[in-house]
Amino acid sequence: MKRSFWLSLGLSLALAGGAGAKTLVYCSEGSPENFQPAINTTGTSFDAARPVYNRLTEFKRGTVEVGPGLAETWDVADGGKTITFHLRKGVKFHSNKEFKPTRDFNADDVIFTFERQWKPEHPFSKVSGGKYDYFNDMDMPSLLDTIEKRDDYTLVFHLKTPNVAILANLAMDFAAISSAEYGAHLIKKGSPELIDQAPIGTGPFYFVSYQKDAVIRFKKNPDYFGEKALVDDLVYAITPDATARYAKLKAGECHVNAYPRPADLPEIQKDASLKVVSQSGLNVAFWAFNVTKPPLDKKEVRQALSMAVDRDAILRDVYLGAGEKAKTLIPRTMWSYNDSIADYPYDPAKAAALLASAGVKSLDIDLWYQPVQRPYNPNGKRIGEMMQADLAKIGVNAKLVTYEWGEYRKRAQSGEPMTAQLGWTGDNGDPDNFFFLDGCTDGKPASNNIPKWCNAEYNDLLVKARVLPDQGERAKLYSRMQEIEHEEAPELLIAHSTVFEAMRANVEGYKQSPLGTHTFEGVDLK
Amino acid sequence: MQADAVLTYFLRRVALTIPTFLALMFLTFVAIRLVPGDPVEVRVGEHAITLERLTFFRHQLGLDLPVWRQFLEYVGHIARGDFGVSLATQQKVLTEFLTLFPATLELSFFAIVFAVLIGVPAGAVAAVRRGGFFDQILMTVSLFGYSMPIFWWGLVLIMFFSVTLGITPVSGRIDLVNFSFDQPTGFMLIDAALSDQQGAIKDALRHLILPAIVLGTVPLGVIARMTRSAMLEVLNEDYVRTARAKGLSPLRVIGVHALRNAMLPVVTVIGLSISGLMAGAVLTENIFSWPGVGSWLIQSIFRRDYPALQGGVLLVSAAVILVNLGVDLLYGLIDPRIRHAR
Repeated sequence: MKRSFWLSLGLSLALAGGAGAKTLVYCSEGSPENFQPAINTTGTSFDAARPVYNRLTEFKRGTVEVGPGLAETWDVADGGKTITFHLRKGVKFHSNKEFKPTRDFNADDVIFTFERQWKPEHPFSKVSGGKYDYFNDMDMPSLLDTIEKRDDYTLVFHLKTPNVAILANLAMDFAAISSAEYGAHLIKKGSPELIDQAPIGTGPFYFVSYQKDAVIRFKKNPDYFGEKALVDDLVYAITPDATARYAKLKAGECHVNAYPRPADLPEIQKDASLKVVSQSGLNVAFWAFNVTKPPLDKKEVRQALSMAVDRDAILRDVYLGAGEKAKTLIPRTMWSYNDSIADYPYDPAKAAALLASAGVKSLDIDLWYQPVQRPYNPNGKRIGEMMQADLAKIGVNAKLVTYEWGEYRKRAQSGEPMTAQLGWTGDNGDPDNFFFLDGCTDGKPASNNIPKWCNAEYNDLLVKARVLPDQGERAKLYSRMQEIEHEEAPELLIAHSTVFEAMRANVEGYKQSPLGTHTFEGVDLK
Repeated sequence: MQADAVLTYFLRRVALTIPTFLALMFLTFVAIRLVPGDPVEVRVGEHAITLERLTFFRHQLGLDLPVWRQFLEYVGHIARGDFGVSLATQQKVLTEFLTLFPATLELSFFAIVFAVLIGVPAGAVAAVRRGGFFDQILMTVSLFGYSMPIFWWGLVLIMFFSVTLGITPVSGRIDLVNFSFDQPTGFMLIDAALSDQQGAIKDALRHLILPAIVLGTVPLGVIARMTRSAMLEVLNEDYVRTARAKGLSPLRVIGVHALRNAMLPVVTVIGLSISGLMAGAVLTENIFSWPGVGSWLIQSIFRRDYPALQGGVLLVSAAVILVNLGVDLLYGLIDPRIRHAR
């Protein structure tokens, strides 16, 4: 009798649980710095704020394609200098204990968001440290002339120089739209910093709470205008240790682990209750030849060095197979990728012959290797040593050099090394965000241009491509630029690393993003 | 007269902590500046930063001042109770520390309780049965415990009890799917009790088991060995022999006459172990995703968050100094000879 009571109670509880709220637990790798993408620089913090916010334009889930967001449509005019956004109507901001919005999203919110990052006199400019790294890094201050409000739902961006790649910039996290009304409310209350800690947005989930270093909780936004959340609760269980994340995934304490350790992958793949997804990351590792330092000013010498390095061995031994050999700056997943380029073969004999024909008898170079692991480069030192050994085979004596990471970048950007490893992780999925790396202004290399290589044709095309509104037309120019880059060989492109993510087998609808972001709308548990 | 002596002893001990604290401030300041990496450079990733912005941030962080000026300003701020603002979160370092410290305290408390409750009786029994089977087992096991790499030990326990057997949770302080409540005190057990959510306390305790065992293992080994050797010494003393000769029960002889006198070195070791727990907590918290000051310090290192690191290390050290002070004062109570020593 007693036993049957407990049994039926247990059964009813189980059923209630089954029919009740669905909770998706994401084992995140670290704590967010805050919940304001405009002042953040780390993927961890962006991931933590993303469920809450929308942007004017959005990357379609799982792609780098730019589509509508809070702006439903836009017109590009004036050869790319004027962009008019037509904003979505009827979009509701979230509410919390402190704040209930009285109006829908409109142009004032967009202006509020950008002016905070742009105008020092904005009331929120200094709040929470007031560093807007991405806004500055993406050159927004030198791109934007004015943002003009035509009416509540029409907004015109006037640019100083034509640049259609700005549409991709606006889909980036830093451009997440905050509520101007919430801002005004917090100023009145005397706690403006809450805008960055208790976020109010329009996104698929609303923010519930954050317990430092432990957990972030979100709930489904039933009023969301876009692809709706399929789970009721979204929980980020902050789990910095990779082995603990794996154990939690295995024990069913979380559903998604975006950063599994490569060493755990074979085990995860064997486990029927788990699955692994992978794709080429939006990144590239390269070995730059400083063309201002003879004999690297000769194209043949650079080509010879490109043929002297066995990249297959590097991919096998250093990337452990988790990478794709690169032949252009951009990875295969990006539009305008030129697959017709014939990659440099590994051919020491030909390399030696090329060097001889360029009149180089003996060559001493310094080879700078990265002191830290980066998403695109698992072990700079090991790669450096393998290159050094390969180069010795064609009589090139390479001296390995490195510095502390900050110092390394600074010196490499100033053009000090003869040859140096470096790489890039894409920001917005626009090819311009990769090809600008070899760009020059007024014939002078930009600081990100490590080979200090200025090619007039390449640079003309780079500037032209920023003006064309049509993606197909732009792709043609980028395609040609890849040919020039390949022929001139200012750098040997080493690899694009592969990104793996692991999850429980019952997770459905998850789409891996080439941008390395993690989003959970449209994700369900079966 | 005696009250005076106690007071003098107390004041002398407290006064001695001041130079220790000053030395600590200097050491943390210097050590963090010797670590390569610039907080501004770390922020910008592969992006090139303009010289103006770099200079601006350096200035904002006070990094453009000569190092000695930076140190003086730092000491000045600490004197006013200002431990700085975290570069990463823009929150006061003291606030962050106080938010996270209860988690570390709770874990350390259970770890040391585990170590003492098992270590002291085990050491005493081993001493009484010297050379016997139990003694040999204990000596071997405690040696293992003492030399155990915490990280490895934690993973082994997780893999066995949490993943294979599924009887303990892998990590965290509470089941995040079934329980959600405010944490006014930061002590999960207390907050769980205040929450009125059924089963919350039990779940919080379940989450404490493995991390407390892992963190308590090293002190357990040390305490057991120390109790054993202290007991061996005391058991040969005349007063123990006298007590036995008087015909007192063995339990009373060992429990009251021997153990009480053997406790002095054991208390020292417990005090030292509590200080040592902070080092272990950094690792344990990291493995078990325990949101305490240990995992916070690790994150701050990776972020080159100077103020958080500097303030955090200093506050942790201050807590350790306080524990040591407490232990010293406790001696005075246990052993009257100490407070009278000049």
